[in-house]
Amino acid sequence: MDLNKIKTDYNEKINKAKNSAKLELIRIELLGRNGLINKLFTEIKTAPNPKEYGQQLNSLKNELENIIKEKSNNTINVDSKIENCKLKIVNSFGLPKVGHLHPITITERQLNEVFRKLGFSIYNSPEIVTNEYNFLRLNVPQNHPAMDMQDTIYIKQPQCLLRTQTSTIESYLLQQQSKNLPIRAAFPGCVYRNEKVNRSNHFVFHQYQAVVVDKGVTMKDLIGTMDLMFKTLYGPSVVVRYRCKYYPEVEPGVGPDMQCFNCKGKGCVLCKYAGWIEMGGSGMIHPKVLQMAGIDPKIYSGFAFGMGLDRWTMAENYITDIRTLMGGNLAYKPNEL
Amino acid sequence: MKIIYSHLKTFLPNLNVTPQKLRDDITMIGHFTNFYEEIEGEIVFDLDIKINRGDCLGYYGLARDLSVLYNIPLIIPETNLNSSNNNLPITVTSPDVTRVMCVKISNLKISPSPDWLVKFTKIHGVNSVNNIVDLTNYIMFMYGIPNHAFDATICGDHIIWETNNNKTKEFTTLDGTVLKLSSQNLVISNPSEVLSTDLVGGKKSGTYDNTTDIIIEVAIYNRVRIRLDSKELKTITEASTRLEKDLDPETIPLAFNELASQIIKLSGGHINSKTYDYYPNPISVPTIKYDFNSASQISGINISADFAKKTLTNLGCVIARNNNNSDEAISLVTPPPIRKDITIPEDLSEEIIRFYGYNNIPTNQPVTYKKTNNITPKILYLIEKTKDELVSQGYDEVITWPLIETPVDPKTVIRTENSINAEVIYLRQSLIPSLKNQLDQYSRYKLPNPKFFEIGKIYYQENGKYIEKYALGTYDGQEFKETILDDLVETLHATSLPYIPKVINNSAIELTSQIITLDANVNFTSPQDPLKLIEKYSAKINKNILWSMEITDIFENKYTFRVNYYNCDDKTAKKIHLSTFNLT
Repeated sequence: MDLNKIKTDYNEKINKAKNSAKLELIRIELLGRNGLINKLFTEIKTAPNPKEYGQQLNSLKNELENIIKEKSNNTINVDSKIENCKLKIVNSFGLPKVGHLHPITITERQLNEVFRKLGFSIYNSPEIVTNEYNFLRLNVPQNHPAMDMQDTIYIKQPQCLLRTQTSTIESYLLQQQSKNLPIRAAFPGCVYRNEKVNRSNHFVFHQYQAVVVDKGVTMKDLIGTMDLMFKTLYGPSVVVRYRCKYYPEVEPGVGPDMQCFNCKGKGCVLCKYAGWIEMGGSGMIHPKVLQMAGIDPKIYSGFAFGMGLDRWTMAENYITDIRTLMGGNLAYKPNEL
Repeated sequence: MKIIYSHLKTFLPNLNVTPQKLRDDITMIGHFTNFYEEIEGEIVFDLDIKINRGDCLGYYGLARDLSVLYNIPLIIPETNLNSSNNNLPITVTSPDVTRVMCVKISNLKISPSPDWLVKFTKIHGVNSVNNIVDLTNYIMFMYGIPNHAFDATICGDHIIWETNNNKTKEFTTLDGTVLKLSSQNLVISNPSEVLSTDLVGGKKSGTYDNTTDIIIEVAIYNRVRIRLDSKELKTITEASTRLEKDLDPETIPLAFNELASQIIKLSGGHINSKTYDYYPNPISVPTIKYDFNSASQISGINISADFAKKTLTNLGCVIARNNNNSDEAISLVTPPPIRKDITIPEDLSEEIIRFYGYNNIPTNQPVTYKKTNNITPKILYLIEKTKDELVSQGYDEVITWPLIETPVDPKTVIRTENSINAEVIYLRQSLIPSLKNQLDQYSRYKLPNPKFFEIGKIYYQENGKYIEKYALGTYDGQEFKETILDDLVETLHATSLPYIPKVINNSAIELTSQIITLDANVNFTSPQDPLKLIEKYSAKINKNILWSMEITDIFENKYTFRVNYYNCDDKTAKKIHLSTFNLT
């Protein structure tokens, strides 16, 4: 490939980037782990003059890194949406200042509102739980590879841990309300995974889940309700597909994927060239899970779905670093009156 | 898992769809595929196989799914092996062996693999070694079942599957890694030493340029044993990721025959023993009582019993009439042994629905309102109300980390055992230290007038129990305060507040530079409307750098403005400030 052409092309692209989010996309495309430069490095072996090619590639990489760095120092860290929003008058002269809810709380409330209108209660349960509620009651037996699907933070192995998913709240809900049917409940909750904290991963994050147990609940109810939730968050034109997906606590399992908003399904860096972004998990509650809670699966059926809130909330607020969302440098412009 | 399109055709010669369509269809039936790419002239897919589908860790299992989806025949390559009368002196003493098949092949010739095989292993991320090793890998990827070839001259014919029982303490693998074995590990030995573990082969387990006689084995073990060994020996291999799933012992003969005949084809040897087949407890497949209306009942759409029956039959299920039941719709269904994941009626329904197509279920019919018992805990109402109240008083909400560095009270603190973030291992006992950190952070950015709160859990131990409670922490500009909300809730009648107002204020900003505060005194000849003044001056400043503007003082006709800038340096702020207020 012509390295000079890459240099001119990307120089132009970088210069045209209007904000840090767009610049970050270019950076990933170019310098990310699966980016163009790394791809070119794998071609060194087949190059006619590997040594020279390697040197050229290294200097191209350094040059592009510098250009991006320089541009990022001069790029305003907001997106067009904020540029366009009308800044209302800021004033403390005789008028009280109003504070702000955290963006996660706002997202949670948007969803709570949708589900309250459908007759759902909001629910919660402890964060420090036993493996019974986090795994066994969700149809994940001891020593089952499904336990490896999540990196768990333990308080005392193997019994006591920090809940890894909002489905754990579902374990409590089904058990505590098994004599109080039908159930309609939704629950936001923070959950824990043993992950190193960096700009895109955290050990604590936020999920939202909804559960219905009643007579004659179907996948049509599940998919329709989940779609309503996505339309609430992303607007009426969002395209979501529902496909077969495995989770131990459901049968059949359903995986919602949203058409990538960046490439409209064509495939890009953001969606790892799938054209779709996995949005969470769902399905019809597994009969064993109902049975363990003391609910007769021959009479009652139910659905459950859950999704993460952090990424959506970050995108909505143009926050690029997940650490900002929790105890980081998140602040609010005092502009509402 | 990587899948090469052309090799899928080994089992599905009639497969004829575009790679794009195959990618989308295979994803819809449960195997998520990001994209396909062209590698050395081959179309290669990268599939995410879920843990319940161990059968799909090989082309064969996937081809079975696709043959049902596209209604095309599944072809298993024909093999024709000679036999010999020599009995192999193999013994199995370990209780963890489900099935093992062995045979000896003699007078073969080790050589480099043909191009197609080199390319196949390379695309699957494995280095090409020689024709024998490459074929064992080929069969593992094609059938999803690990297997091995021992050099019979080095290892001898007497191969033993046994529990280590402290016989060997240290074991050196083929690549030179030393593993410390425990007594429970499953090992493959000869009478004098351990040749291989269940996960990885040892130094003497290879095949070499001068190898002429080999013993090939294809085996499946107790998956729990594999999982424990893999964790204990900290070893994950292509073999262990397959063997820790539920694999099908009935597929072993297919893989075994194909391996033996491919070896003879490529290396010229001949079979030199009877086939050894250890299979003490043939698996029993469950018979499921199934109502063919179930798929419709679960999906909520009409799926005909004919479609349901056809799908299950094509999947390899055996359907028999249930003589004890007069209802025609109810049958006895026996799934194929390879589908270990099908054990209950709901599993059968999922099969029918996924081949019918999840995309045939409408997306526009959510559940409608239904009055159910309100089971919302009081504390959640209290939290919502408290947040609204504090926001109306000018507090901003923050969320801080529940895991922290230093405990407040080391005696009652709860410690995590395995957090990989070594600097934060304690669950917080109070919100105040975290809020202090937040204030430090805000001071670093010179944020004007910080006033904020958090509602979150605090955690401690009491009488050997783990306690967690909701706490409210506030900073009002001068001091920090903390209240335990759980203790308050019992005294309040919070459920009498069912209506929660909607507060939407999307103005959260990620701080990236310090906030710069500048004042300006402006003299006018007559009294002014302060709101209009702010409107006028704030309109002159780019919204991307204006944090806030207020009038802090009015004396006669002199108005004092305080403006906070962000996202820019001191110099730019001053320049803009001077020009906005016409100061010199």
